[in-house]
Amino acid sequence: MGRTITIDPITRLEGHGRIEIFLDDAGGVSDCYFQIPELRGFERFVVGRAIEEVPRIVTRICGVCPASHHLAGSKAVDACFGGALAPAAVKLREAYYCAHFLHSHIAHFYALAAPDFICGPDAEPGERNILGVVARVGLEIGRQVIEARATAQEIQAVLGGRKRNVCWCVPGGVSKGLTEEERAGLRPLAVSLLEFARFSRRLFKDAVLGQSRWVEAILRGPYALAIGHMGLVDADGAVAHYDGTVRIVDCEGSEIARFAPADYARILAEHVEPWTYLKFPYLRARGWRGFVEGTDSPIYGAGPLARLNVAERMATPEAEEARQELFATLGARPSGAMLAHHWARLVEMLYAAERLVALVDDPELTSPEFRVLPDRITGEGVGIVEAMRGTLIHHYTCDEQGICTGANLIVGTTHNNAPIQMVTKKVATQLIRPGVEPDAALLDRIEMAFRAFDPCYSCATHALPGAMPLVARLHQGGRVVREIRRDA
Amino acid sequence: MAAKALLVGLGNPVLGDDAIGLVLARAVVARLAASPLPAACATLDALDVEDDCSAGGLELLAVLEGRPRVVLLDAIVTGCAPPGTLHRLTAAALPPTRHLAGPHDADLATALALGRRLGLDLPPDEAIAIFAVEIEPCREFRATLTPALERALPVLAEAVMDDLLADLAATSSPRAAR
Repeated sequence: MGRTITIDPITRLEGHGRIEIFLDDAGGVSDCYFQIPELRGFERFVVGRAIEEVPRIVTRICGVCPASHHLAGSKAVDACFGGALAPAAVKLREAYYCAHFLHSHIAHFYALAAPDFICGPDAEPGERNILGVVARVGLEIGRQVIEARATAQEIQAVLGGRKRNVCWCVPGGVSKGLTEEERAGLRPLAVSLLEFARFSRRLFKDAVLGQSRWVEAILRGPYALAIGHMGLVDADGAVAHYDGTVRIVDCEGSEIARFAPADYARILAEHVEPWTYLKFPYLRARGWRGFVEGTDSPIYGAGPLARLNVAERMATPEAEEARQELFATLGARPSGAMLAHHWARLVEMLYAAERLVALVDDPELTSPEFRVLPDRITGEGVGIVEAMRGTLIHHYTCDEQGICTGANLIVGTTHNNAPIQMVTKKVATQLIRPGVEPDAALLDRIEMAFRAFDPCYSCATHALPGAMPLVARLHQGGRVVREIRRDA
Repeated sequence: MAAKALLVGLGNPVLGDDAIGLVLARAVVARLAASPLPAACATLDALDVEDDCSAGGLELLAVLEGRPRVVLLDAIVTGCAPPGTLHRLTAAALPPTRHLAGPHDADLATALALGRRLGLDLPPDEAIAIFAVEIEPCREFRATLTPALERALPVLAEAVMDDLLADLAATSSPRAAR
């Protein structure tokens, strides 16, 4: 009977996850499952409530990207009320979302990704956190990280009226416009974030791309998948975070689908496996065929790298330059090098900052016409935004009184559920071989595989796991025969 | 004027017992307001209250910054005590990897260590009181507490209030004032 290695819980991830690795008698990997507990009952919770309340409730699904849920939900509600929307509100919402993207991407890069890249996977676990990063790059940069996060939050507070628990979007627009005085205050804040995004790009070039072992790991490590990619693009084919059409390409870049949000259910289907609550979305037309790679694979991924993979360009000059640099190094677009998600995140930081500066200068941003009153109820709406971790779909229905009758959500991490399973198994298979005793460093590298997706399974649950950060258990014959315990 | 101490309720208002930190913060404030004790009135005056906070890690730094003293109310799953048990923790005693506030970015201990290294104006460990209420893991969206937590709420609020009153008495003594 083979052995089982369990890593539980996964450090630096929301929620608690565990990886179970089944070894055959020879010591090689026979299978690998990534399991997480899922929160339930959201649909039941919102049915029967006024539909315009739902975008204010969805911010509580998850404390990590509340604005993404608020905006996707608000777009779905706009559609439930006929879709009329004040043009200034579109720009205000997008500006808000740029700041939210920056707030989140900064935290991910410096607190979650940089410990792997800047401290290195062989650093002591106690150093592989943001403290270790600051120890290496300097206190001044640490201060800038905190300041940039505070700046991004301040921009959200000025636009949306409060720092946390956003409740700003209403059917047809937003509940608060922007004054000229507020705009004047926003401009230097937006410019400072652009400076910080430029700095982060330089840091990545120096600290990561300057090291051949990292370039090798990104390009030729076991972290690559030949699957499709999905993301929103604008009318010019550029990466879009707030609004656009959904584009899916195969692993060689051929377009498989391009569709309006309302058509998502025609294109995507969800597969259920018995060992996890989380569903596996796939391309409906291709049918579920298991976790397979290739140009005809029904599996696709989402998130920063997927967005760059599906787009023809970035809409802003410096981000476009950074995008070209990324694909020149990766060798081709699309790229299946999943560790490049971290790099793509920095390209997106630059885009969000450039776009924010442009929007802050837009004359329409201070228009007093920031809401139109809806005059009908159509009863159904789909809202899609690109959340930090991938395409976020909210689909609501309501009755003629505007009372919610149904809700379906597909979140970014769910799109990446199959790719995460696949890359985790791939890395485990390459690193755990007969005769190689698995140790904490090997397990770290397996975690790196799925951390690239920045998976998030939380819904702001503040419960303490009550367990060590990382425990690996080896089972044999139904007993635990060895335990690797990693304390920070 | 010096910044006031801050009472923070942490949690998710629609995730069942995960909301206990928020509910408890409101219950403590209500109890202080209803108390005939002069000290209760003084305690309320000396407090700012944030009773709907879903921040964690780096985000929580911004909440703590500039405060001389902070009281955090949160849910906890240790599995070692019945639901409704109140755990008194201190920032100094928190194991660095425990995810007290469900952070996506960094845990509280790491965030505090980072903030201090960067020279942020944060309360010292001994001025951060953490009250964590034992709950069963929540996996389902609900806007209500379980009966066990509902029953425990008055006792929990009393215990937190007593601590706040004792704390006020201590900080207003001549020795503490120095």
